[in-house]
Amino acid sequence: MMTIARLFGKSPFAPLQSHMKKVSLCVEKLTKIFDSLEENEKLQRLVTDLSQLEHEADLTKNDIRNQLPKSIFMPIDRSHFLEILALQDSIADVSEDIGLTLSLRPLVNYELFAKDLQAFVKKCIEVFWDTKRIIEEIDELLESSFGGIEAEKVKTMVEETAYKEHKAQKEKLKLLKKLYNEGESLSSAAFYHWLRVIEEIGILAQVSEKLANRIRMVLETK
Amino acid sequence: MEFTLILTIIVLLVGFYMAWNIGANDVSNAMGTSVGSGALTLKRAVIIAAVFEFSGAYFLGSSVSSTMQSELIDVTRFAADPDTLIFGMCGALLGTGIWLQIASYFGLPVSTTHAIVGAIVGFGALTLGITGVEWGMIGSIASSWILSPIMSGFISYLIFSILQRNILFALNPAHATKRLIPILLFFVFGTFALSMIFNGIGRFNVNFTLPQALLLSTVIGALAFAVGLLVVRRIKIPKTSLETPSRLIPFKLISLEKAIKHLRRVRTGSIDETHNKITELLEQMHNIKRDMRQKTRFSKRTTEYDLVEKAFASMQIISACFVALAHGANDVANAIAPVAAVIDTIQNGVSASAAAVPSWLLAFGGVGIIVGLATWGWRVIMTIGRKITELTPTRGFSAEFGAALTILLASKLGLPISTTHCLVGAVLGVGLARGIRALNLRTLKDIALSWVITLPASALMSVICYFILKSILV
Repeated sequence: MMTIARLFGKSPFAPLQSHMKKVSLCVEKLTKIFDSLEENEKLQRLVTDLSQLEHEADLTKNDIRNQLPKSIFMPIDRSHFLEILALQDSIADVSEDIGLTLSLRPLVNYELFAKDLQAFVKKCIEVFWDTKRIIEEIDELLESSFGGIEAEKVKTMVEETAYKEHKAQKEKLKLLKKLYNEGESLSSAAFYHWLRVIEEIGILAQVSEKLANRIRMVLETK
Repeated sequence: MEFTLILTIIVLLVGFYMAWNIGANDVSNAMGTSVGSGALTLKRAVIIAAVFEFSGAYFLGSSVSSTMQSELIDVTRFAADPDTLIFGMCGALLGTGIWLQIASYFGLPVSTTHAIVGAIVGFGALTLGITGVEWGMIGSIASSWILSPIMSGFISYLIFSILQRNILFALNPAHATKRLIPILLFFVFGTFALSMIFNGIGRFNVNFTLPQALLLSTVIGALAFAVGLLVVRRIKIPKTSLETPSRLIPFKLISLEKAIKHLRRVRTGSIDETHNKITELLEQMHNIKRDMRQKTRFSKRTTEYDLVEKAFASMQIISACFVALAHGANDVANAIAPVAAVIDTIQNGVSASAAAVPSWLLAFGGVGIIVGLATWGWRVIMTIGRKITELTPTRGFSAEFGAALTILLASKLGLPISTTHCLVGAVLGVGLARGIRALNLRTLKDIALSWVITLPASALMSVICYFILKSILV
């Protein structure tokens, strides 16, 4: 006799947000890793923690996928939802990649690039925090069925995020130029290590921005 | 004489049990959604449900009851043998009661309405043969079982889409609510008044022609509109939403974006000088847009949704009352139609014309529903209310409006339908309009299952009970 109660499926949006929280823990760890680049022991420990956190995020992701059976009907397209989830999870993956690359060997000539690197990292991580704020708006978006003033607000937020990503890429260019200028003085292994670190940090900002834009795709703006 | 007295007592007891069952289980459909969305507290919901269920049963319940009592099977063919009709109806009631008990033990999704219709048809087909069943009537009832969820879903979809476009998607939801609520009240009261008075008002012997009914319902709607205007004027919109300077209000920005979109369209179709000029214009407009977007504060205005929800909590109370009324009108028949048939046959023998359902019996059914609500139903309302958090007042209002209108119309046409299925259809309608986070489509399978299982099972039960009664009492 509880047909009505049984009609309502388990909403996947709250788990989506809690997955985002786990992902943000990974990024927080990453920030700490960048603060302790010069203490190798502490860095190794932090990277192990990060791997653990990434694994937990993976588990949450799989949980969400499992509890989203075919017979559930949602206000946004199923494939859109899964794409958002996948992008969100890849942020955690990228954070782990960065951590692992950093733990391979200490960065050679760190002092030389320290200032530019930290500025670049800060910009990229800022893009992520912006995206996280957008995911936190999903409650309000559901309330307004993804339209109206709330959608306009999120749209503005997405535009800001995109702008910040653009600024981060500029910072990356600056850093790369410097790296190539100093290239002669670095061993090829050290050069390649630096290149990889920079590329991967850039990807963090790119994926975050992509996620923000995916949210924009489900909005009903005129 | 003693024998008929025993039968009367049995049939009254079983009828009361059925009414109790409806009150205990089905009233929660009407009220659970309102409690779930926070529009009503449990105590108020129970009081409102009691009042409106009883009124629905007492004042509007007669047409469905008389359909069930005398139009499902050809009762005139029992004229020579009224005892068979008495035993049969008793058997149908008992069989339905037992089947409902078994079904709820196994957690099967069954509808009281389907069970009782199945039971009556079952004993009718057994005693009179296939020809004794009024297949035309059964056909229209069966089609109403398919059509009613679709209709309520469609109405709810429409209502929620309108609310979405005009309130939720508006850039000033609070103002939009104030503008729309009186109009909504006009339609709500107008349509309900119309569906209630066309075809005569239940127990009262008044009949209106269609123009008269239309006029009267328009007047009632207009009254609601006027009251709505007065109430809405009192609602104060929090100041934060008015703070933005007039030159930066969000919808101006939207207009600008639209202009850009149209200009782009013009540009794609133009060449040479016009093309260059438009490109220049577009660039300028883009710059203006960027500046405006930076200065516009969208974030401040999102709090307006709170006010919308508050306003619709009151609207939802109104729609919940209508659901309770419509539910009482439709479902009381499940309990008292067989009782009425038995008592009528005992007192007057079988008559060709459908005897009017005595009003004391409708009241008896209404009381049964209230007792069920008071002893057990409130618990079910609470459980369902806790489970449903997806239905905010705007969504709850849309769903309840669609369901109530459908049930009321069916009751007026004398069609016994399942109120649960109507509500499921309505909720799905709201979900289709992107209103609800997640819906479990397996419920549709449940509904199909309820059809396939309930009809033959309750028919079988009723036949078994008929034979048992006959062998004991004759």
